Amino acid sequence: MFDGLKDKLNDFRKDVEETTEKDSDAAADASDATATDAATGTPAADDAADAAATVDATSGPAEESDTDASAADESDPSTFQRAKAFATGRVIIEEEDLEDPLWNLEMALLESDVEMSVAEEILDTVRETMLGETRKQVETTGELVEEALHDALLDVIAVGQFDFEERIAEADKPVTIVFTGVNGVGKTTSIAKLSEWLADRGYSSVLANGDTYRAGANEQIREHADRLDRKLISHEQGGDPAAVIYDGLEYAKANDVDVVLGDTAGRLHTSDDLMSQLEKIDRVVDPDLTLFVDEAVAGQDAVTRAEEFNEAAEIDGTILTKADADSSGGAAISIAYVTGKPILFLGTGQGYDDIERFDPERLVDRLLGADET
Amino acid sequence: MVLDDLGSSLRGTLDTLQGKSRLSEDDVEEIVKEIQRSLLSADVDVSLVMELSDAIETRALEEEPPGGTTARDHVLKIVYEELVDLVGDSTELPLESQTILLAGLQGSGKTTSAAKMAWWFSKKGLRPAVIQTDTFRPGAYDQAKQMCERAEVEFYGDPDGEDPVQIARDGLEATADADVHIVDTAGRHALEDDLIAEIEAIETAVDPDRSLLVLDAAIGQGAKEQARQFERSIGIEGVVITKLDGTAKGGGALTAVNETDSSIAFLGTGETVQDIERFEPSGFISRLLGMGDLKQLSERVERAMAETGGEDEDWDPEDLLEGSFTLKDMQKQMETMNKMGPLDQVMDMIPGMGGGMMDQLPDDAMDVTQNRMRDFEVAMDSMTDEELENPRIIGQSRVERIVRGSGIEEETVRELLEQHKMMERTISQFQGMGDGDMQRMMKKLEQGGGGGGLGGMMGGGKGPFG
Repeated sequence: MFDGLKDKLNDFRKDVEETTEKDSDAAADASDATATDAATGTPAADDAADAAATVDATSGPAEESDTDASAADESDPSTFQRAKAFATGRVIIEEEDLEDPLWNLEMALLESDVEMSVAEEILDTVRETMLGETRKQVETTGELVEEALHDALLDVIAVGQFDFEERIAEADKPVTIVFTGVNGVGKTTSIAKLSEWLADRGYSSVLANGDTYRAGANEQIREHADRLDRKLISHEQGGDPAAVIYDGLEYAKANDVDVVLGDTAGRLHTSDDLMSQLEKIDRVVDPDLTLFVDEAVAGQDAVTRAEEFNEAAEIDGTILTKADADSSGGAAISIAYVTGKPILFLGTGQGYDDIERFDPERLVDRLLGADET
Repeated sequence: MVLDDLGSSLRGTLDTLQGKSRLSEDDVEEIVKEIQRSLLSADVDVSLVMELSDAIETRALEEEPPGGTTARDHVLKIVYEELVDLVGDSTELPLESQTILLAGLQGSGKTTSAAKMAWWFSKKGLRPAVIQTDTFRPGAYDQAKQMCERAEVEFYGDPDGEDPVQIARDGLEATADADVHIVDTAGRHALEDDLIAEIEAIETAVDPDRSLLVLDAAIGQGAKEQARQFERSIGIEGVVITKLDGTAKGGGALTAVNETDSSIAFLGTGETVQDIERFEPSGFISRLLGMGDLKQLSERVERAMAETGGEDEDWDPEDLLEGSFTLKDMQKQMETMNKMGPLDQVMDMIPGMGGGMMDQLPDDAMDVTQNRMRDFEVAMDSMTDEELENPRIIGQSRVERIVRGSGIEEETVRELLEQHKMMERTISQFQGMGDGDMQRMMKKLEQGGGGGGLGGMMGGGKGPFG
């Protein structure tokens, strides 16, 4: 996950460097480069641009003349302005310098499934931070861009982070956790994984099957409970979901179990009946934590449903499943942003141990290439 | 539904072209931007969006609008053609013996779709069987079995089996009598090499006539890579989009269709086994662009008329334009309307009513109308034949009896009678009118409907189609 976005963010950084670091020689060389391109075909042009970008990233402003070939990119803004900036020994970042790279960045974010309004928010932050900045001799444009991006992304992803384990440790037992989400995102599987995660940390848990609707739901969670040797509270299909979870809570109290994991039926946020049922569960059970489960492969719609679920039964955090599928993970960014609640876990496979804590700082560092893992 | 937003936002942009005969570059740029935004927020693959919008831009600037066409119609036509071109026809599904293999990510809705498709084939007079080969996910066997019971179709599975390939083989043998075999598989994604190898083995074993990729409408840009991988390993002939009853636009499916060079086979629109539709590309895009879908509308009307008329042969819609318009006629019309499907869907198909006009109505207008019609029906069920044939005899005491008998409020019953009177008046004005007066008729209906609210308009509007 996130590898695609990482590459694209790198491209953005290079883009900005290229457009801001060309000097007056660029114009002359550009025509040369274009002539060569015409002779050798487009691949050469790409190579040239790539090579220039690499040089950019490594050599910094002292060797600006090396970057001339990058002017082969014909969409560059006027070279005259840049010449002026160069003459004064500084590089001014102007709106037109940012226009193309920002457009590319927006496309990169959208390609990574970041929701449109969230992508625009990120762009705005980057634009505001960078516009009119004067790059000092001592730092590279790259550093400046990295800082702006780092802040913008972290702003969006790192909302309301809390230590999940600490929260469980400090809470009065039993702790009730209810899982919500649309159909097929992996709520039940996540419950099984989390039960195992809690057991690894010394907490006992009981499963309560609040999905009294879907065909095969009881069988599915029973199988998990049997395999993990956990107690399962379930009612007949068609029963009252709130009552099942409540019974789970009663069982936990009577048997000194630390955590009640309450499953709910998957529902689409457009189903008014099922959404008000969810409100009822929330009211009757009054869980200590409500976790919203969604899949990392979700696209633009992730935002809408996160909002709707958060409205029906306020969530405390999100579990993002199927993060091992080839997804770009923009859903993580979007959901955290619109709900203002943190992403807590990532589901990364089909085994019970395939669950990871989500760390926004590390993610942003990873996206920006500071961390090589 | 897929690209709903494109419909409304595009209509907004296109409206600014009203009255213009030539397009400036700025106009085109504006429209293309709007198209890009809509497609992107519908999860269509970014590079596909760029391809599509480039094509639209080039054509809009280069092609001369044919004489007499406004700039607006010209652009509309280009957008329509490009979109139809992209979506293609719906997947061809001959009604004959065949084997269908389903593949897709975890939780995309394969098992539910399998049962729905089996139900669909059974309604077409074929004998389907569902074979469940998911040995991995707990509860998969039970879910498939229960869904098939609801769909009343044959089911094969082995809760203790461990080899999906073997189950698939056994299943085909055990259900040899069935015409259509639908083989359900465990969810998997493109990066799980062992599972991809497994589905390849299943594919070899069952040798399907077509493999369908099941995709959640909410899937994002990842759709491309997933589709590509499934195409490579088992070959995809069609795409099933599920969970379209949510707010997701299903643009990922367009990407998948493009990537696998296939088409859309089915749409899943709800949790019960009947919630499945075949995909109708041209009508669908016409509706999207607010051009109406007369073909589908007339089909629906015919089907509904056949169903209504079949039960009661002494009712002839032609009578409407000759004899008197009774409450019985009104009852029939409402019954037919109901059989045509949800009111908003029907409205959307009528040219000039769908699209822009629908956007202006309050969201619940259709629900209100539908509820009102239901109340009317209940009230009419409490009337005697005599009253239905001759509503004028209904006085205060009869109204009170109807109210007691039906549990409908007196006010509603009176509204019903009022509505009938108004429709009767309107219809009598049409009698003797030629076809050429259709437009005047529609106008009259709209005015006439003003008093009785939407219910009146719809009730009356049905006349011409009957």
